[in-house]
Parts: sequence; C-alpha cells; structure tokens
Amino acid sequence: MSGKPLIQLVDVSKIYHLESGDFTALNHVSLDIAENEFVAVMGPSGSGKSTIMNQLGILDVPTTGSLFIDGKNVATMSNLERTHMRRDVIGYIFQKFYLIPLLSAYENVEYPLILKYKKRDESGRAWEVLKSVGFDQNMSAHRPNQLSGGQQQRVAIARALVNDPKILLCDEPTGNLDRKTGFAIMDILINLHKEGRTVILVTHDPKIAEFAHRTIELEDGRIVSS
Amino acid sequence: MRDIFLDLSIRSVRLNFVRSILASIGIVIGVVAISSMGMLGANMQLSVKQQLSSDVNTIMITSDVVRTTSTAGTPVSAQGIDKSTLNDIKNAAGQNEVIPIHRTSTQFTIGSTDGRGQIYGLDPNDISKFLTIDEGDNVRGANDALVGANIATNFNMNVGSRIKIGQNNVSITRPTVRVSGILASRGFASDGVNTDNAIIVPDTWYTDQYGNKDLYDQVNVIMQNIDQINQTEASIDDKVNRRSDIIRVTDASSRLSSISSTLGTITSFILAIGSISLVVAAVSIFNVMMMSVNERVQEIGILLSIGTEKGEIRRMFLYEAFILGVIGAVVGGFASLVIGYSVVSAMIGNTAYFFMPESIMYVPYGMIIGVAVCIASGLYPAWKASNMDPIDALRSE
Repeated sequence: MSGKPLIQLVDVSKIYHLESGDFTALNHVSLDIAENEFVAVMGPSGSGKSTIMNQLGILDVPTTGSLFIDGKNVATMSNLERTHMRRDVIGYIFQKFYLIPLLSAYENVEYPLILKYKKRDESGRAWEVLKSVGFDQNMSAHRPNQLSGGQQQRVAIARALVNDPKILLCDEPTGNLDRKTGFAIMDILINLHKEGRTVILVTHDPKIAEFAHRTIELEDGRIVSS
Repeated sequence: MRDIFLDLSIRSVRLNFVRSILASIGIVIGVVAISSMGMLGANMQLSVKQQLSSDVNTIMITSDVVRTTSTAGTPVSAQGIDKSTLNDIKNAAGQNEVIPIHRTSTQFTIGSTDGRGQIYGLDPNDISKFLTIDEGDNVRGANDALVGANIATNFNMNVGSRIKIGQNNVSITRPTVRVSGILASRGFASDGVNTDNAIIVPDTWYTDQYGNKDLYDQVNVIMQNIDQINQTEASIDDKVNRRSDIIRVTDASSRLSSISSTLGTITSFILAIGSISLVVAAVSIFNVMMMSVNERVQEIGILLSIGTEKGEIRRMFLYEAFILGVIGAVVGGFASLVIGYSVVSAMIGNTAYFFMPESIMYVPYGMIIGVAVCIASGLYPAWKASNMDPIDALRSE
C-alpha cells in the first residue's frame, strides 16, 4: 500500500432536505484515517456521529465533497460495487446488534460468507470466528431472541469479522450492554485492532473512548477536536 | 445445501403460518375454479364431439328447391330429391353407400295411448348400414317396423307390440305395423336421422301410405374414407347443381366444428368467471406480501447494510410468493380432481372423458396459473423491499 490513508474524507458535507428546511448533518468535514488506527468518534446527540458512520459504512453518499475508502471514490461507484464493498471491506457492528431474527446464531455468522461465495460455508470459517469471539458453541443453533445481549453482540462481531474486513465500524457497540459485558466486548475489539484491523468506534462513554488511540469530537456537523 | 434466501422465505412463511395459509386458500379456490371449470368445458366438448363424430363420415343431401304454386306464389312444403337427381348423386358418390331416406311426421297410437313422432321410410337393406338394433331383428315382413329407444321406453313397447299409424279417428281404419326390433339410442344424430323418437318402416310401406315413390326427403352418403369427404361433396355438387342449386350438401364435420366452436366460447366464458376468483386471490397474496415486507423493514435494512444485493432481497420475497403459490397450487390441484370430478359427473352425467388429456390438463394448467399469479403479485412487494434505503430501514422499529 502507498502512504494513502485507508479512509479519506475531503470537504464532505451531508445535507438533508426536510420539510422544515435543509438540515446540515455534516459541514465541510475533512478527515484521514490510516490503516490500523483505533479511532473513537464522540459528540452529543445530533452532532453528526451517525451521519459520519453511515458515510463510512457506504450506506449513504456525501452531498458534496469526496469520500475515498480503500483508495476508491465512493461517489463514482455503482450500487452493486458499494454493496460488495460493504460485504468485503467493512464490518459493521451496531448498538442494537441487528442480527437477522429468522437465522440461528451460526447462520447469522455464515450469512456474509454465503453472500460472498454464493454457497454455504464448508471451510469452517464461521465456526472459527464464532469461537474466536468467545461464543458458546452450544448456543449456535439458537435464534437471536434466545440469546443474551452480550451473546448477541458476540455473534454480531463474528458476523462483521467473517469476511475478514479491513475496517470495523462500531456504532455504540456497548451501548445496550451492562458495564462488565461492555468491557468484555471492548477486549475483543482491542484484540482485533492488535491483529491489524482499523477500528472506528462511536461512543458516548468517555471510559470506552479511552481505549482508542485517537478521539474525534463532533459538534453540529463539524470536527471540533481530532 | 439450500439457498439461504429460500430458507429465510420458508421460515418467514412458517413464522406467519396462519396468515400465509389463509392467503394460499385464495389460490386454492382460484386453481379449483379454473381447473374444474376448464374440465367441465372440456368434458362437455368431448362428450358432444363423441356423439357427433360417430356419424361424421356422412354427407347429408337435402333439397334446396322451394317449389311454388303457379298462381298464388305460396311455398309448399313438398320438396325433395327426385329419381334422376338420386342417380346423379349415386354416380358422383362412386363406391360409397348412398342411402335415400323418406321422412315425415305422424300421429300414432300404441294400445290406447296417442303419440306423435317422425316416421322414416328406409330400404331394409340400408338400415343395418348405419343403425344399430338393440333388441329384436331388422324388418322382414312388409308390415314390420323398428322403433327408437326413447319411444320404446315411453310407450312401454316390446318386440311384437303393434302401432297404429295416422290420426286417431274412429271413422277410418288405420294401417298397423308390428315392432320387429328396438334401435339403440343415437342421441343427437349429426347425419340428420334422429331415430330415438321415431318409427322406421320399410320404404315400400312408406310409399304405399304416403305416395311420392320416387321423391326422397334426404339422401345420405356414407363415406368409406373420410379423407375424401370434401372431394365427394364437390363432385356431387358439380354434378347436380350444374345449372342452379337443386340440392344442399352438408356434412357433420361443419356442424361439429360450429358446435365445437360454440362450446369453446362457453368454455372460455366459464373459465373467465373462474379466473375472477384468481384475481381476488392475487389481491390477497399481494396484501400478505406487502404485510411481510412492512413487518420486516428492519430486517431488510440489516440485510442491505451488511452487503446483500438488491437482487437477493427481491429473490427472497419472490421465493415467499412462490411458496404461497406452490402450497395453494398443490392443494388446489388435488381439490380440483375431487371437485372437478363431482361437477362433471353432476352436470354432464358422464365422467368417461374426465381422465383424458384434453380434460385433465386443466389441473396442471390451473396450478401453473396459480403459481404465476402468486409470483406476479409478489413482484411489486419484492421490488419495494429491494429498493428501500438501508438507513431508513434500519431505523424503523
């Protein structure tokens, strides 16, 4: 890789056109994130944390400015290319876990592999990843609604990891967990960072943000400290 | 291993079992309606065709001339085919059997009961060429007669019964014939010889009673080879209708095709009525699919955000519609066999043709249409699901 950052936001703005008028969620934000950084994104509600995460997760595109992920300009990519990038380059971990309710814990982890290889996993990769996040294998046939919050988040992390993404986007991953479980989950994320992944973490909790090497603070759609 | 999207669809159907089954019942009804209506129509056509085609090899020749009296210009009914025309027909018909027929309607009395019906005068040798005697024998004596199946039943006649022919009038002594045999039922005969309610007497007896010895009401030509029917008709027409139209030449096949086309129209009509129920079913499938999409908005958001292609989301919902369709079609297919059989036996009274391909094919037709309707109803919901904005979809609760 060249010295180019893994993620690069150049003067990115995101404006939502609402009935009450235009709302600027991101206001001329420029930001570089290098490979294997551990970045925490903080800020009060409505500061643009979610918007920036949606941009990084390529669920949305900037209104103005450019976003480069892994050297590619998101705005010029086709819908299918963005879908494939979400599948292969990015692992998304949500506050509410967002497991697929109709699939078992194991199938939830296997699912991104099926999306990528268009067949069921026979390599044992899904098992391996589930084990690596400390998930009890006896629970693998359970549906998400039969699991505790901590177990669900472990499954969600395993799902995010299974296609070996470069970037892990964690949107308040401990927000719905008790403190002890939250720290256990953070341990997993720290290890993943040590293994070489780029981790970007949105949080309210300064204690959680302390795990990161760099903290970006947002306010009213602008970066106030980085 | 199964496609995971098929698995997801099966699980969704299972999760909303009652709703899915209710929607499928609509398809069951639609498939049953289409299949049994189709089979009803097909059986109707088949049984009529069977009846008609038994004498489809017959050319019917009737007089086309309305003779008028010289003074008043009023048409009289006495028309017919004379001896020389008959000879022309015979020449044109070649090897084929030519059967001249006398016919009129008459009153008669059997025992003390009066009746009215057709009386045919035929050469006794011709009778066995196209009529079947069920009971007794062909006419032998000059005063023997055959009777049709219905007339025999209605008047309780047996071989040996006697019939007085003509109007019941005490001052006149009427001629009497003896029943030598009873004919098999012919139904609606397409060769114009409807014997079920008729009395058949030898031509000599007929002309003795009614005169007009060399004037026939109809001449039938029975073809040995049905493929030559048009050729023979043309040659008869050429020969006899040289200067002006003296005779009218028809055959059962044209009548058969016109009756078939009428029955085809009726079949299409009842099929159209049946398909109304499929339209109703389509609406209910559409409704269930929209409910399924709306209930799973967040799930769709998850699937999209972790890299599921739009086409894969569409596939998932189309599978769901397909499953509902297959359930409906399979149950509907079996139900169609039972209900179709009952309807056919109740309305046609004959299930001999039920399992023939022309009839039974409506079951797979109905099933395929049922599944197709389901998939078509799932198109918009599937499209809607695949085009959701993942962020909005994730946020919805």
